[in-house]
Amino acid sequence: MNDSGLYKLYMDNLYHYFQRFVEMSQDEFDGIAPYFEIRKFEKKVKMVDFGEVDTYFNIIVKGLVRKYLLVKKKEVTIQLSTEGHMIHSEISFNLQIPSDCIIETIEPSIFISISFANIQRIYELYPKTERLGRLIIEEMFIKKDYRDFEQLNKTTRERFLEYIQNHPDMLQRVPQKYLASYLNIKPETFSRLKHLLRPKKINH
Amino acid sequence: MFSASNYFTFTTRIERHLIATQKVQELYEYIKQFTVVSQQEFQQIAGLLETRSYDKKVTLTRIGEIENYVYIIQKGFVRKFFLKGKNEIITQLAKEKDLVCSSVSFLSQQPSEYNIETLEPCIFYALSFGNLQKIYSMGPNMERLGRLITLDWLLQKEIWEHDRLRQEPRDRFKRFVAENIDTIRRVPQKYLASYLNMKPETFSRYKHLIK
Repeated sequence: MNDSGLYKLYMDNLYHYFQRFVEMSQDEFDGIAPYFEIRKFEKKVKMVDFGEVDTYFNIIVKGLVRKYLLVKKKEVTIQLSTEGHMIHSEISFNLQIPSDCIIETIEPSIFISISFANIQRIYELYPKTERLGRLIIEEMFIKKDYRDFEQLNKTTRERFLEYIQNHPDMLQRVPQKYLASYLNIKPETFSRLKHLLRPKKINH
Repeated sequence: MFSASNYFTFTTRIERHLIATQKVQELYEYIKQFTVVSQQEFQQIAGLLETRSYDKKVTLTRIGEIENYVYIIQKGFVRKFFLKGKNEIITQLAKEKDLVCSSVSFLSQQPSEYNIETLEPCIFYALSFGNLQKIYSMGPNMERLGRLITLDWLLQKEIWEHDRLRQEPRDRFKRFVAENIDTIRRVPQKYLASYLNMKPETFSRYKHLIK
């Protein structure tokens, strides 16, 4: 597919994504579509570095991205996101202050992105998007709360098994040390837990 | 002529009026942080908030129930917690001017994973889920207010989470004490320890850091 064909495909995806939250006519969507841009990054690129102000809100069309904090020079992974997920440095983007975390691609990645300035413009020019924004933020809040709850409430083993069951492809796509960090499991423990995934031998 | 019963009606009416005036004032201050609303919009919002008071140690929402209210605390202290086995894990301690509710249950209208309980006698301005939808149907400016308040919840959660990952327990304790001296005085120690995700012994060990 050529570039304009891909652009149309990505924008159609975005339109369907918005329709999950609100009723929106094609005309209304066409009004806001020009404020979004397609951005591409190679793998292992820091999209937002520590101390930079994050200016983009991104929806992942293709690829894999992680977000991490530096804690005494150690990287603590706090988000792993793939196709269909949103990623940005929430505090930095929304308050327009330097980022305390780093966002880095793991695979070559494509995003539909909107800048902070353009989001504000859309809210001013198309007041109906306030509702869309409110509902997307509610969903983000619910997901974040769910993850916090899992971290506090589940055992290491439960966290591991549930994550791998719900995201079976991540074991292949994400380096193990990042997964272990994200699930707050020691690398050694993580290796040990992987045995749980092997099919059990049946004794005859 | 003033009879005793008339007198009491009179004072409670004044009290009610004062509480109502205070509600309007405090609500206005709260909303003003987020966006500009018209006089008419403001009156409508104020009319949909119910003033409610509870004794201490009252459970407002139980695990498994659907949260129907978001509370702005006018007076008092509230805790939010879930059960891990028999242990109560506290995830929020809220006081005057804070918002409290089992937020995910409220937003999604699914059963709550958390209990909400008063720690002191409390007065709230309570907004039901139904009334909130009425406010949203008033138009985009109300959606804007809702978006900015929800965003504020999200960012507070994110900041709390980053601090938790980044700070040593001792530093977390010192910072919490510096910013929440009033909370330290009003909330039982075991609750504070749970909220800071510390063993009660660790909390006791750090207590000398409080000046």
